[in-house]
Amino acid sequence: MRRVTLGAAVIAALFVAGCGESDQVVVYKQGKYQGKPDAQPWDNAPLAAGQLGGKWTKGDRTSWEEQIKNRQLGQHEHRRIYQ
Amino acid sequence: MLLTRKSTSDAMPQSRLSRGMQAALAKTMDRRAFLRRSGVTLGAGAVASQLPFSMIGEAQAKADAVKVEVKRTVCTHCSVGCAIDAVVENGVWVRQEPVFDSPLNLGAHCAKGASIREHGITHDSHRLKHPVKLEGGKWKKISWDQAYDEISKKLLAIRDDKEKGGPDALFVVGSSKHNNEQAYLLRKWVSLWGTNNCDHQARICHSTTVAGVAQTWGYGAMTNSYNDEQNSKSLLFLGSNAAEAHPVSMLHTLHAKENGCKVIVADPRYTRTAAKADTYVRLRSGSDIPFIFGVLHHVFKNGWEDKQYIHDRVYGMEEVKKEVMAKWTPDKVTEATGVAEAEVFNVAKILAENRPGFIIWAMGQTQHTNGNAIVRASNILMLALGNVGRSGGGCNIYRGHDNVQGATDVGPNPDSLPGYYGILPPAWAHWTRVWNVDPKWIADRYAPGMQTKPGITVSRWIDGVMEKNEAIDQGPNLRAIFFWGHAPNSQSRGLEMLEAMKKLDLMVVLDPYPSASAAMFAKVRKDGAYLLPIATQLETEGSATASNRSLQWREKVIDPLFESRTDQMVMYQLAQKLGFADQLVGKKDGKQNIKLVKGKGGEEPSMEDTLREINRGTLTIGYSGQSPERLQAHMRNMHVFDVKTLRAKGGKDAKTGYDLTGDYFGLPWPCYGTPALKHPGSPNLYDTSKHMMDGGGNFRALFGVEKDGVNLLAEDGSHPKGADITTGHPQFDHVLLKKLGWWDELTDAEKAEAEGKIWSTDLSGGIIRVAMKHGNHPFGNAKARAVVWNFPDGIPQHREPLYSPRPDLVEKYPTHDDVKVLWRLPTLFKSVQQKAVADKMHEKFPLILTSGRLVEYEGGGEETRSNPWLAELQQDCFVEINPKAAADRNIRNGEYVWVSSPTGARIKVKAQVTERVGPDTCFIPFHFSGWWQGEDMLPYYPEGAAPIVRGEAVNTATTYGYDRVTMMQETKTTLCNVAKA
Amino acid sequence: MARMKFLCDAERCIECNGCVTACKNENEVPWGVNRRRVVTINDGVIGAEKSISVACMHCSDAPCMAVCPVDCFYRTDDGVVLHDKDLCIGCGYCFYACPFGAPQFPQAGAFGLRGKMDKCTFCAGGPEADRSEAEFKKYGRNRLAEGKLPACAEMCSTKALLGGDGDVIADIYRERVLRRGKGSEVWGWGTAYGPGKPGAQPPAPGAKS
Repeated sequence: MRRVTLGAAVIAALFVAGCGESDQVVVYKQGKYQGKPDAQPWDNAPLAAGQLGGKWTKGDRTSWEEQIKNRQLGQHEHRRIYQ
Repeated sequence: MLLTRKSTSDAMPQSRLSRGMQAALAKTMDRRAFLRRSGVTLGAGAVASQLPFSMIGEAQAKADAVKVEVKRTVCTHCSVGCAIDAVVENGVWVRQEPVFDSPLNLGAHCAKGASIREHGITHDSHRLKHPVKLEGGKWKKISWDQAYDEISKKLLAIRDDKEKGGPDALFVVGSSKHNNEQAYLLRKWVSLWGTNNCDHQARICHSTTVAGVAQTWGYGAMTNSYNDEQNSKSLLFLGSNAAEAHPVSMLHTLHAKENGCKVIVADPRYTRTAAKADTYVRLRSGSDIPFIFGVLHHVFKNGWEDKQYIHDRVYGMEEVKKEVMAKWTPDKVTEATGVAEAEVFNVAKILAENRPGFIIWAMGQTQHTNGNAIVRASNILMLALGNVGRSGGGCNIYRGHDNVQGATDVGPNPDSLPGYYGILPPAWAHWTRVWNVDPKWIADRYAPGMQTKPGITVSRWIDGVMEKNEAIDQGPNLRAIFFWGHAPNSQSRGLEMLEAMKKLDLMVVLDPYPSASAAMFAKVRKDGAYLLPIATQLETEGSATASNRSLQWREKVIDPLFESRTDQMVMYQLAQKLGFADQLVGKKDGKQNIKLVKGKGGEEPSMEDTLREINRGTLTIGYSGQSPERLQAHMRNMHVFDVKTLRAKGGKDAKTGYDLTGDYFGLPWPCYGTPALKHPGSPNLYDTSKHMMDGGGNFRALFGVEKDGVNLLAEDGSHPKGADITTGHPQFDHVLLKKLGWWDELTDAEKAEAEGKIWSTDLSGGIIRVAMKHGNHPFGNAKARAVVWNFPDGIPQHREPLYSPRPDLVEKYPTHDDVKVLWRLPTLFKSVQQKAVADKMHEKFPLILTSGRLVEYEGGGEETRSNPWLAELQQDCFVEINPKAAADRNIRNGEYVWVSSPTGARIKVKAQVTERVGPDTCFIPFHFSGWWQGEDMLPYYPEGAAPIVRGEAVNTATTYGYDRVTMMQETKTTLCNVAKA
Repeated sequence: MARMKFLCDAERCIECNGCVTACKNENEVPWGVNRRRVVTINDGVIGAEKSISVACMHCSDAPCMAVCPVDCFYRTDDGVVLHDKDLCIGCGYCFYACPFGAPQFPQAGAFGLRGKMDKCTFCAGGPEADRSEAEFKKYGRNRLAEGKLPACAEMCSTKALLGGDGDVIADIYRERVLRRGKGSEVWGWGTAYGPGKPGAQPPAPGAKS
């Protein structure tokens, strides 16, 4: 931070104050979206066996993410070629 | 909302966010740019709904009592053979999922495969829904029974007409989209009717390949596989636009490229495949032989040929070398092809330094009057480099339709019974045994002398109708035609086809869609046609052979929709009316080969039993080991197959306990011997590095033991790995077995059957079994022939196309002499070419017209243009024209133009001004139909069954020209002119 | 886990339109609405032709979300940008704001009439009960709730279009770029990092480029 004169610092502080630092990562602000609520994908039960869906534990985000990342490797032909 | 498209002339708004992207997109004017309409008028027909989403209506599954099944099938749109998992709820096809396990496509699809579920949608379908008959110029709905009644009566009347009729008055155009079982049954059906006048799309696709390549070394099929390209160091695409015709094959190609493989594309157009090439060479359409031999010239000059390989395994290369060095010097090559010497040399160097490598081709090489010679030149190049018969090298021939390979192998060919046995008496003796049909009965079905005469080809059926009767080499002219799964707009000379339709007594179209045949016929006739709705390949089970010779078994996804019936059911039911239903299923003397099963609409021959009959009889090409059980086990366990080698390292099928170890996926033919022998299939043909029972092989001994004192059999030391006979030998028969002392290794039952037979007629499979046990190839071990002396041009010769833009080259490289009778018809060559030169056609029509594929459509196009998801992407037929040629003719991008050809036809298409084509060439895709010289033929289609997108068929304007050996049509090179509309 | 993202590898895309029809198929998108489409640059120009498949990029800082007057957009925990069609008034501001042309408006008759905005949902459905009929009718398929990934990415003919966890995509793409030694310049890496030679090391910090 560069050193500024007292007056300029006060003026600068006035400009800055009230705005807050802008977030580096966009944070979802609850309350802006006005529509219907939506469920998270992992909060559903997996499809029945034989219906080609993924397998995870309902409600467990990590297990859902694991299986999604594993399925995603189907897009990487190296996995099928060098399995 | 229009598709986002940018043109070079549009100024883009420069918003802060978008500036970066816009700079990159500034020069975007692509084929999609023709999507000017969002298609409201068209779309209104496609989806009459105001909601954001159309409802799938009946396809919506209810939450309760839902029966969900997953059926594994294979896409029906090209020969790559992408597997699909179809999710069916209560008999309705609701979802499709990719099959990542498939070793062939790894879950990938192109536009057609990704949208194939549309074939199962009944809401707003453009399919033919019920049989119709043309009456008083209108398509009237009739019942199946009435259709069968009337058609059979007409057929029998024509057959019994002593003066102008007979069994040969019927031409059955079969289909490369039939599965193996249907194609096989169709060949039988036509034989039982009593004619050899049958054919299918292979004629106009790879007939020249099959003939030329088979005559070089034994089998006329892809030597390796799409997968095997991953083991290559170089790929030369000469006459293939794989990015649009076989998109998923590019997965293997690009994976190879990323691992160091050099990709060269030589094409008159800068295709999408060329956009992915390391090296692109633009050559004049039709100048393939000068190019190939130009490359070969440099190979010989620098001593890059594989001398040991040539010595051991090739006959006649010395002769070829002499001719190539003398005749195809760089200046001659440049004169004929338009390619600079440095470029040709560069290609030769890349191929020589990067072995093993493939040469890849499709229609670019085959559809010429000397197509049979062009493919042989490709073979010679690969033989010279020593690339054939090893992993990563050879001739990768990309077949077209999903089962054109299978239909060629076992289906309706005019010059052969199933399995390339031919139609001479020994072939008939073999097959009547397999079919359980009385040989005398069949012989009587034929007109005298016709049983052993090759029939008319699909490319010339119109001449069979129109030609003077004295000039045809059969009794009657053609009076009735069946279009059984084949479109008319893929054959050349459309103007004359319309005339031929005027003269026909009867036309029957058996297809899921009316096809352009219906519209063309109704345009010129008031009656005489029937359209029968046939089920698609997703509504039946059966096997299909992909281009790499692997067989895949399709499960039935849904029952035939609307009133359609399967091909096999219609074959059987018609046969019942015509009097040979029993023979069709091999019912005689208390035995029945093929049992009947219940289907929608009646009884039909069982597909599994039909495959078993194919297994029993097709020994020549090894369709004998692929039993339904083995194929189904493969489909259930795709994940155990390695992608680079196609081999299963292990695995056991959970359902049947079948051990998959060692099998190659789909048991690529030849898969010799009975299923019990458990031959693993042959992924790469002629591969001497493997044992016979491991998929190895060598070149075939089909052409004799010696020629002019030169040994035609392989030299000592050239044999499959571990073979007992380590030198060349002729094909195996009972005589050879006895001479070798191996006769007693046959069981008694095998001996009884094998006595007096050769390996391919021994139904016990014993001769094959014993030969393979000793590691030797049943069809012998010989040299490949660089000189095919039984063809019109022993060494491939360059001959200018009949309609050539270069009269100076016509004089140097004239075409063949006219032939009085070829495939039963007089066939012109020289007279047409001379007349074109004399009439100065090259001045009136100075642009070369070539045609080819688009990724969104397949074949004649009526099926894919009825799929709204595909139709939206390509709504107009167009001509690609170079900016210079367009400017010379005052043509702007996107406006309508008339393309005229020497036939007098004029077709109206949109102009796409692009640098893809050179200033001397124009390109029109061949998938369109439904317009006739500017007129929309919508009124001539049955109600509700016209395709969504209609356009001019380029073949309305294409010209006369046929291959000297196979009667392939010359659609890749003719002449045209373009004028503003 | 990182956000859900798409990446289309321009070295592999052959403009086969498999992604386009896969989306149409899976979500039953009507004629005229193009959630995903393939854009080709330098069509037919020798040595310069490239294609990429474009749909909604599911931006972290989505301009569509920022400008919507009725705030009908939201972003899921995976980073998928979705919106509520019941709230949408079809004004088209999101269409103005989006640099990729993702918002689509089905035509419903007279020129200029717009329906509810429709766009790529990353096959994650929308604010209705997951995997229900209502969700399918309005938003298309919810593949994420089935443990699958977008149909377009799963069916791409040459595995050019990658879709899913951004980290996994980065791994896959990085491996490809390393193998072939080129391809990233289409994305502007040359602008950001300076034109480099294949296999060269990036410049040391502080060094003049």
